[in-house]
Amino acid sequence: MSAEKQPPAVEAEGVSFTYEEGTVALRDVAFRVESGEFVALLASNGSGKSTLIKALVKLLVPQQGAIRINGRDLKGYSAKELYQQVGLVLQDPNDQLFAPTVNDDVAFGPRNLGLGEAVVEDRVTTALSWVGAEALRERAIHHLSFGEKKRVCLAGVLAMQPSILMLDEPTAGLDPAGEAQMLHLLNRLNRERGITIILATHSVDLLPLFADRIYVLSRGSVLMEGTPAVIFTNHDMVAHASLRLPYISRLIHELRHFDGVPIEGLPLTVGEARQRLVELIPPDLIVRTITEKRP
Amino acid sequence: MLHGFELFSDIFVLRDNVLLRLDARVKLIAVLGICTTVILSTRVYLPLAMLALCVAAMLALGLPLRLIAVRLAMPLAMAGVLIVLRAFLMGTTPLFTLRLFGWNLTAMREGLMDGAVLASRVLGSVSALILFSVVTPAHKVFAALRWFRLPKTWVETAMLMYRYIFALLDHTTDVFAAQRARLGYAGLRRSLSSMGTLAGAVLVHSMEQADRTHEAMVARGYTGDWPHARLGALQGRQVAILAACLALLTAACFVIERWA
Repeated sequence: MSAEKQPPAVEAEGVSFTYEEGTVALRDVAFRVESGEFVALLASNGSGKSTLIKALVKLLVPQQGAIRINGRDLKGYSAKELYQQVGLVLQDPNDQLFAPTVNDDVAFGPRNLGLGEAVVEDRVTTALSWVGAEALRERAIHHLSFGEKKRVCLAGVLAMQPSILMLDEPTAGLDPAGEAQMLHLLNRLNRERGITIILATHSVDLLPLFADRIYVLSRGSVLMEGTPAVIFTNHDMVAHASLRLPYISRLIHELRHFDGVPIEGLPLTVGEARQRLVELIPPDLIVRTITEKRP
Repeated sequence: MLHGFELFSDIFVLRDNVLLRLDARVKLIAVLGICTTVILSTRVYLPLAMLALCVAAMLALGLPLRLIAVRLAMPLAMAGVLIVLRAFLMGTTPLFTLRLFGWNLTAMREGLMDGAVLASRVLGSVSALILFSVVTPAHKVFAALRWFRLPKTWVETAMLMYRYIFALLDHTTDVFAAQRARLGYAGLRRSLSSMGTLAGAVLVHSMEQADRTHEAMVARGYTGDWPHARLGALQGRQVAILAACLALLTAACFVIERWA
């Protein structure tokens, strides 16, 4: 007996959207994300990724095309049904944190679902623990740092227990450590809790570590779709989309191209690049001495 | 220079003290009682006693004098205007005469006394409100207001205003610094022009912010009704404290108004 095939978590066909003042933001966009996937929408500024995210959660209604969430047409969803399935995290945490305290803000969604106070408390505790922000619970929003605000935003959405999470530039404005922390957190939510992640970003360096697939958008259209390895080996397309390779890939590419270093393939992460470089060094030149100091 | 920190900072509500631990509803009723008594007083003694008591309490709680002074600056200015206007516009018994640009302005005793009472009422009640604001976190005030069944829309608007004061203040400070770094405040004409631009920029930003916040609220199930947890009934101990506060206030009122 074969298991019934699960419908895609998010599916968009022929989606076009033009703002009232005439800016064409999306042109015939086709987009498909399977349940449990980690997908990135990679695009430069003004390419329509935020518009697409808003269209996917019904904050904007496209003039053409169809969007389905978990196999069901978006038009058929009531707000309450939709936002229990899809969580949206906006780019600027100040847009999203509107209650006086962290506790009130994270509890906002569950209370809107009409849950009892005990369940709301439980959801707030769980969501804050997922993002490592339990200690911030009684803090006023304006006393939080930018990184803390970002995590509390995420907790506010996770408290709705959505199966799909859409994030608009979740790492924008974060320092390198904060950026890595946020992506690790999203990766954990994806791998351990099975939450489908769709994130819009133009930050390319950390994506190969986390994203299963990448959609590249340019001027409102999907230029290409594929795994990070497929996307970043198409240099012309990456340049056309006003993007760049991850720095480590660019270094390897230039070593091969300008210096003739015989490196195979294009490593996308520091770990892969290290492996390839080590392979080129004669074994007798490698000093394999690791001194471990313990207090 | 923007004095946002002194005017709006609420970091003092994070310091644990005996007043902070009191239920916000008890403090709210007590402060309303103080304001009512002060406003109804016919002489300066009770309002000034309240002013002294509140300032002393704030100093005892460790608030910097500068912060108290900045927060009292506006009511002090209003008090000054009230005294001057009343003294020169009311009464029949001359106290002294000022000659200004060829005009003789005579201050009257009755007007001065009346102005002093009004000014003391302003200072007494505002100082009580300032003390209340530094010992009660805003979210507890909102919870108390909801418990007293104030209109939902009013409380929710106040909550959003409180939240976005800080966000808009940050934005204002950034724009102000950007203008200043490009000599936007060099000279009176430029300053006036820059101030106008600043006000416009903040207004536009606040409208855009409102749109984005509404979208974020809708994305978390908001349909025009902001649900909250309700506070439980007041505990016996808190009721007893409230009764004691109101009894003390009545006694102080009686003693000061009768014998001062």
